[in-house]
Amino acid sequence: MPTRPVERTVSLNVNGASASVTAMADTPLLHILRNDLGLNGPKYGCGLGECGSCTVLIDGVAARSCVIPFPAVAGRVVTTLEGLGTANDPHPVQRAFIAEQAAQCGYCLNGMIMTAKALLDRNPRPTDDEIRRELSGNLCRCGTHVEILRAVRRAASGSAP
Amino acid sequence: MTEHLNKDALFRRDSVLLIVDDIQPPPGLSARTAPRPMELGLFIAVCDDGAVHAFNGHVDLGTGIRTALAQIVAEELDLSPGQVNMVLGDTAVTPDQGATIASASIQISAIPLRNAAAEARRFLVEKAAGIFGVPAHDLVVTDGVVSTGRADDNRRLSYAELVRGDTVRLRVSGEAPLKPVDQYRVVGTGTPRIDIPAKATGTRTFVHDMRVPGMLHGRVIRPPYAGIDSGDFVGTSLLGVDRESIAHIPGIIDVVAIGDFVGVVAEREEQAIKAAKDLRLTWKPWSSKLPDLSSDLAGALRANPSKPRVVLDKGDVDAALAAADQRLRRTYVWPYQLHGSIGPSCAVADVGADGVKVWSGTQNPHLLRADIAWLLECPEDGVEIIRMEAAGCYGRNCADDVSADAVLLSRAVGRPVRVQLTREQEHVWEPKGAAQLMEVEGGLTAEGAVAGYDFATSYPSNGAPTLALLLTGRVEPVAAAYEMGDRTSIPPYDFDDMRVTINDMAPIVRASWMRGVSALPNTFAHESHIDELAFAAGVDPVEFRLRHLPDERAADLVKATAARAGWEPRTARRTIPPEGDILRGRGFAYARYIHSRFPGFGAAWAAWAADVAVDRKTGEVAVTRVVIGHDAGMMVNPDGVRHQIHGNVIQSASRVLKEQVSFEGSAVTSKEWGGYPIMTFPEVPDIDVLMMPRQHEPPLGSGESAAVPSAAAIANAIFDATGIRFRELPITAERVREALNPRALSDQSPAPLAKPRRRKWLVAGLAGLFGTVVGMGVTALPWRAPIAPIAPPGANTWSAETLERGRQLAALGDCAVCHTAADGIPNAGGLAMETPFGTVFSTNITPDVETGIGAWSFAAFDRAMRDGISRDGRHLYPAFPYTAFRGITEADMQALYAHLMSQPPVSHRPPETRLSFPFGLRPLMAAWNTLFLRNGTAEPIPERGAEWNRGAYLVNGLGHCAACHSPRNALGAEKTGAAFLAGGMVDGWEAPALNGLSKAPTPWTVDDLETYLTTGFSESHGVAAGPMGPVVAGLATLPKSDIRAIATYLTDLDGTATSGVAAAPVSISGGERIFQGACRACHSDGAGPTLFGVSPSMAANTNVHSDKPDNLARVILHGIQNPATPDLGYMPAFKDSFTDRQVADLLAYLRTGFAPDKPAWSGLENTVARIRANPGSH
Repeated sequence: MPTRPVERTVSLNVNGASASVTAMADTPLLHILRNDLGLNGPKYGCGLGECGSCTVLIDGVAARSCVIPFPAVAGRVVTTLEGLGTANDPHPVQRAFIAEQAAQCGYCLNGMIMTAKALLDRNPRPTDDEIRRELSGNLCRCGTHVEILRAVRRAASGSAP
Repeated sequence: MTEHLNKDALFRRDSVLLIVDDIQPPPGLSARTAPRPMELGLFIAVCDDGAVHAFNGHVDLGTGIRTALAQIVAEELDLSPGQVNMVLGDTAVTPDQGATIASASIQISAIPLRNAAAEARRFLVEKAAGIFGVPAHDLVVTDGVVSTGRADDNRRLSYAELVRGDTVRLRVSGEAPLKPVDQYRVVGTGTPRIDIPAKATGTRTFVHDMRVPGMLHGRVIRPPYAGIDSGDFVGTSLLGVDRESIAHIPGIIDVVAIGDFVGVVAEREEQAIKAAKDLRLTWKPWSSKLPDLSSDLAGALRANPSKPRVVLDKGDVDAALAAADQRLRRTYVWPYQLHGSIGPSCAVADVGADGVKVWSGTQNPHLLRADIAWLLECPEDGVEIIRMEAAGCYGRNCADDVSADAVLLSRAVGRPVRVQLTREQEHVWEPKGAAQLMEVEGGLTAEGAVAGYDFATSYPSNGAPTLALLLTGRVEPVAAAYEMGDRTSIPPYDFDDMRVTINDMAPIVRASWMRGVSALPNTFAHESHIDELAFAAGVDPVEFRLRHLPDERAADLVKATAARAGWEPRTARRTIPPEGDILRGRGFAYARYIHSRFPGFGAAWAAWAADVAVDRKTGEVAVTRVVIGHDAGMMVNPDGVRHQIHGNVIQSASRVLKEQVSFEGSAVTSKEWGGYPIMTFPEVPDIDVLMMPRQHEPPLGSGESAAVPSAAAIANAIFDATGIRFRELPITAERVREALNPRALSDQSPAPLAKPRRRKWLVAGLAGLFGTVVGMGVTALPWRAPIAPIAPPGANTWSAETLERGRQLAALGDCAVCHTAADGIPNAGGLAMETPFGTVFSTNITPDVETGIGAWSFAAFDRAMRDGISRDGRHLYPAFPYTAFRGITEADMQALYAHLMSQPPVSHRPPETRLSFPFGLRPLMAAWNTLFLRNGTAEPIPERGAEWNRGAYLVNGLGHCAACHSPRNALGAEKTGAAFLAGGMVDGWEAPALNGLSKAPTPWTVDDLETYLTTGFSESHGVAAGPMGPVVAGLATLPKSDIRAIATYLTDLDGTATSGVAAAPVSISGGERIFQGACRACHSDGAGPTLFGVSPSMAANTNVHSDKPDNLARVILHGIQNPATPDLGYMPAFKDSFTDRQVADLLAYLRTGFAPDKPAWSGLENTVARIRANPGSH
């Protein structure tokens, strides 16, 4: 019989707060964020890093939380959608997505906003091609791409594109 | 989420105005559903606390109807939309208005709601009129406050005040005056969606986010007949469940098996995931039962039993065609497609003594309630479905399935259970958007008029019964035929002689409605065919349509769309000069989506003018621009309609160009986005939307209409560009390339196969060799003497410098890599290593006296290291690389001993190594040593310099690089000479050549190698994985000077590397599709996103250029879960998502695309199967 899986206790720094979590060592960060920390922003979409729904920032870089075991972020800074802003006081990127109504079902929205945030932090004035390239690994099935592109442009320029 | 409302409670409460009506719930979609009794539906509740609730039985599938319905209510009640709490699809409170299908929510189910709102307003205003003593028509209402509107009269009564102390229930009379359209303030203006701020900030919205106290996590395990839901094997195939197989996983609450339904419940989600993966089930053998759905879909559909249903027979089609001057007989084929929700379905169920509650993302809460009641054999009113938002479904996905799964698991454990389907389960088991076959014959008279139009369509789909009902045997797994192939089957053109036949048929694989149900395929055929007829008649296709289009609104739309696009009339295909290899074309198509039970009714009208660019070499098609005209009548929320149009254009273009479910044998093999790629941002066309101003016409459904003309518009544009008609979707690059360059295929002939291995000879040779060795072993060397045990020396025996030096040497020597079991304690042994001779388990090298090396003196340790003899005198197997360690200096050996003996002792006895005969005879190792154990140490070569010599010492000594990177002979000894460091195999991984035989596309430099050895990644070579991962982790702790020395020595080995080759993907194949969908985000060579971890280039990856595909196959199947350094990032394992053939396709693509100068790999599928079966221990 296989041996009992190894558990790890890790102190995480998520959205500026620290939390100690114990789970099987190979548990994806996504499940810890959702189930242990009650964060709904990152979504389970594929578990294979293909669709981007689970995107969070690790040390400011966009990361697929569904394929990263949670112990890997020990000592790093994790930011989720909730760490950007709230419904009453959204972050400028969230505000741009709301202003452009850039969601249909909205399931992929987390990944779009987090990826856009990471891009704009790195490159505040991206070209249209650069935006499309950055979002090329984020899937949207509703076909909200037009509004999402407008939202990223709006967030980059600070006003309507 | 707002307060949870309940109809009975509202009916019982005081101080409320309720607007109700007797409604007849629509019949269920499933044949099983009995006629449903009339019920008293609640539409509006105005409460004395200021709340105005409005109820609709439909749900918001992401189209924004929650906002649009709130606008309608707000308009009639003179409220702002934010004052209306729009409640959708909750069986405890909303009226049963059937499933949310056919774009009917605004067009049909909003009507009673609007009447109810008008009824409420009339009552409230009349009541205020009585209080104020003025006629009702003199009053005005602003944001729910009634007044006379006169400046001199400050009397005000809010709706809340008007209902206070009063309890009124009114039926919708239908006579309350509706607000005239020209007084609209809210309806018809762009209104921000109510739900988006919460979704953009992570507030709980989705059913996936639902958590209830005491909730457990469940996962289901589906049967092997992947994606098939009819046949006598359904529900009867499970033979056994081995509960012990998951006994090692903590937190397991239960395993539930009913018929073929299997689920696990655990305290934590990851525990349930692991249990679902590890649970061993035994299924009846199941053999191929499907027709060929891959290469002969038309044939499979023709052969599927069907019943013809003629829905239109006008004039005399046969006579007209017989008399025609030209007859065009054409066949159009639509593939199986996926709804492809981005979020796999999820539900939470709580089956308790006081009833059943299900939080669900269903499309049809009331029908799901009936299904759950049937499943549990309980009355419907004991079941409540609370509809929460879910990922867009575009039809029937797995939302109902997972709800029933959660119910079964919750019932079994008596606690609330959340079930999340996996991506693979959603892909494989969702009821597919059905394939469809359209066979059309059209005729033309000599004058170019249409002489007969004979259309037949075959649509194998039904309502896809909820899976748990089939798997548990509650519903017979008999495929029923549904009359749903008739949507938009009658063309919009007024031909004199016309026949339309629907071949109703049962599903072949599990299938149900998907956006544009049967209308998209039917219109693909109609609008492609009329384009052909137009050119055959020598008439411009837009002009030809207008000649036969009796519907004036349609004609207006067609003209307006053509004008907006700058349509240039043509009577034949235009021949635009190519720009390089790019051919450009434009196509037109029109349709009004006619839906619901035949003859149905019309939703919005739509027309497309599509521009395409076709690469005539690669065959790639880009839709560059779409001008789309749309007439939806009055648009409640024009912004919402515009977004629906955008979404429909993008999703349908994706379906037309890219999408097709793949099958192997009798199973669905599209299990993730590599097996089923969809359109991504770089491919999205420019979209120019023309919305016809029709605000005085009734509102029409807009959730699907814009997609309907897509396929024909794109196919017609490709014809304009290339002169080739594509009548089967998707129009992939392969199909276009093949059609444009029929001979190009021969360029892809596989490279000559490698010579078959002479296995028989090899075995004989081995035996012979071994015979010789046995002979020597018996005579040459006796058993060696044990060395006396000692008491373990204290940790203070050695200086800090010695211990640090020992630590570095242990890191260099990677002792812990082999002497640590998976998830085991470092150095406590037990790692299983597969060798050609059997499994070798590593030993415990912690200083434990009983099970480790605690009783070993330095002399015993030194002998083991140099001669491969254990303290007790037994020979060690050369899996332990003592052959390399002979050259270690005395001082280094002392330091290493000091380090190991100062570690904490761990009592752990690893499993005994058992090799197959005769390799299991340890004394034979003495003979082996005679042959292969070289005496003495290599002499330094002073002229190479100190750094080189230090590198040689580290590489060939404690570093024992050759143990993995040199090939071994038939007896497992490292080869020397030219084969030294020429690449080897270890634990199923290829350790690439480090000498001049390196397959690296770019020669290693000292800097590259130094970076690679310390970080595990080199831009020009890729990442360290498998057994090399922990090696790098160890090397990273060594002094930089030693790493530099290693790099200096290795890059100076004989030979020159092959020259660099640029990445040049040359063909689009199944493998490329998988690469695009599954791999490209992380391996885009700079053309994709910046993601955490490294993004290794495939072109630079040594493994792509190797003679063996093993390392690539291994990484694809098993992923990289333990990267060499934490900064590298992780790679998921695809073994549960790809079939062997898919991995083989992917490998073939990587090889031809990124190492085009190298011969193709052969036998890929077998290689993949072998590596899948032998996962190794790294």
